[in-house]
Amino acid sequence: MELMAKVAFCVYTLVILGGSIFAVSSSSLVRALVGLITTLVGVSGMYLLLATPFMAFMQLLIYVGAVSVLIFFAIMLTRAEAGGDEGNSAPMRTYVLGLAATMAPAGILGWLVLTKPVESIAVPVEISIKELGAGLLGTYFLPFELISVILMVAMAGAVLLTWEKRGKK
Amino acid sequence: MFGIPMILINLVIAAVAAMIWLALNALVLVYCERKFAGHIQRRPGPFEVGPHGALQPLIDGLKLMSKQLLTPDNADGFLFWLAPILSMIPVMLLFMPIPYGPVLTGMEVNLGLLLILAFSSFNGLAVILAGWGSNNKWGVLGAARAVAQTVAYEIPLLLTVLSISFMTGTLNLSEITAQQAGFIWDWNIWKQPLAFLIFIVAMFGETNRAPFDLAEAESELTAGFHTEYSSMGFGLFFMAEYGYMVAMCSICSVLFLGGFYGPFPGIEGWWWMLVKTYALLFLMIWARWTFPRVRFDQLLNLNWKWLLPLATFNLLATALIMKL
Repeated sequence: MELMAKVAFCVYTLVILGGSIFAVSSSSLVRALVGLITTLVGVSGMYLLLATPFMAFMQLLIYVGAVSVLIFFAIMLTRAEAGGDEGNSAPMRTYVLGLAATMAPAGILGWLVLTKPVESIAVPVEISIKELGAGLLGTYFLPFELISVILMVAMAGAVLLTWEKRGKK
Repeated sequence: MFGIPMILINLVIAAVAAMIWLALNALVLVYCERKFAGHIQRRPGPFEVGPHGALQPLIDGLKLMSKQLLTPDNADGFLFWLAPILSMIPVMLLFMPIPYGPVLTGMEVNLGLLLILAFSSFNGLAVILAGWGSNNKWGVLGAARAVAQTVAYEIPLLLTVLSISFMTGTLNLSEITAQQAGFIWDWNIWKQPLAFLIFIVAMFGETNRAPFDLAEAESELTAGFHTEYSSMGFGLFFMAEYGYMVAMCSICSVLFLGGFYGPFPGIEGWWWMLVKTYALLFLMIWARWTFPRVRFDQLLNLNWKWLLPLATFNLLATALIMKL
């Protein structure tokens, strides 16, 4: 089973990396969105590997099912037919800087993992959804409620923005 | 056996069984659909191939397979061919956690209901990519409609499913079935009649079936998102649509109609599941040939002004009653 977990980890990593490279290198926005979706599916696979199937399915349901569809909606509304500025090839300097920006966190995290190994490498235990709910409404009550307040503010803000536009007409 | 874990063998068998189940259902449903359509419109339907046209779906399949695969000019070939595959693959996963009989469950998943909801949302994505990728005005129009429709109808569906899982306290489909064992009045439909109705309506919206088939709307948009698809490209969409129908009807029977339990104790078995699923499928086909297609604003109004408030109210009422 341990070998299978390693194989799965490699596959998910490849899916995530491949998806993200496809997303940044493609000239059309819709193709970039497909790359993003691939990456999100790979991340949900990682959640499965961490024995958190609830997170994995929620990732699929919310990000793949809803958020990406909304992004597609936004692309359609802006009528970005094929590319826009992103479609043109960028100078070499941009690529080098982009690569540096990607490698910096990877390097720091890799250095941390290599020099200060984690104390426990035990297989994570699957936590039932009931325990998760009890935790959210017990120990982590304040952050949980604060997040819902943030979401509420964002929603109200969105409504307010469109309201103003309609008034100006 | 060769060090292969038992669970993997189980998984492969379940996947193959799901594929066979899907293909068989597609054949049977194509025949049923055409026959029902015929009889509803007072004509016999297909009659030439085989007794009462029974071999018609096989011949249809052969015809589809022998056609040429065409990619339209200036279409995004990658997205164009990704879409039908993306619409087909998740369907097989949908059948895994559904308990078709006392021991006939592909894969026992604790979060089975969530798995189904997560993977059924791929269908909308596939429809959108198909419409966009085929570089066709009708395709894009179909995709635009599909976007608004899938985003809208997913919400009441989720809310009704949530009210069932509030009531039963689990997301495992086998446990939900087990809680409905006994007589016919133990089924969830009597405890959640409003949720059942909302689920049925949202089911039509989710599977893009008439009267909510605005993404294809053959009289306005030729064929909407699959206008440009020939041969098995279209065939895959077609099979996926029937697959989603079967999956949704099976889930509806599990959630509301007692799954594989009969109307009184002691006679449970997979045949009940089959009877219930096909009764719901018949309802879907019946509705398609009875109701005219709704207009797009009617579709959205129905969802946002009726289904969503009702489903929210139902969820709150369920939570209140469960707490008391």
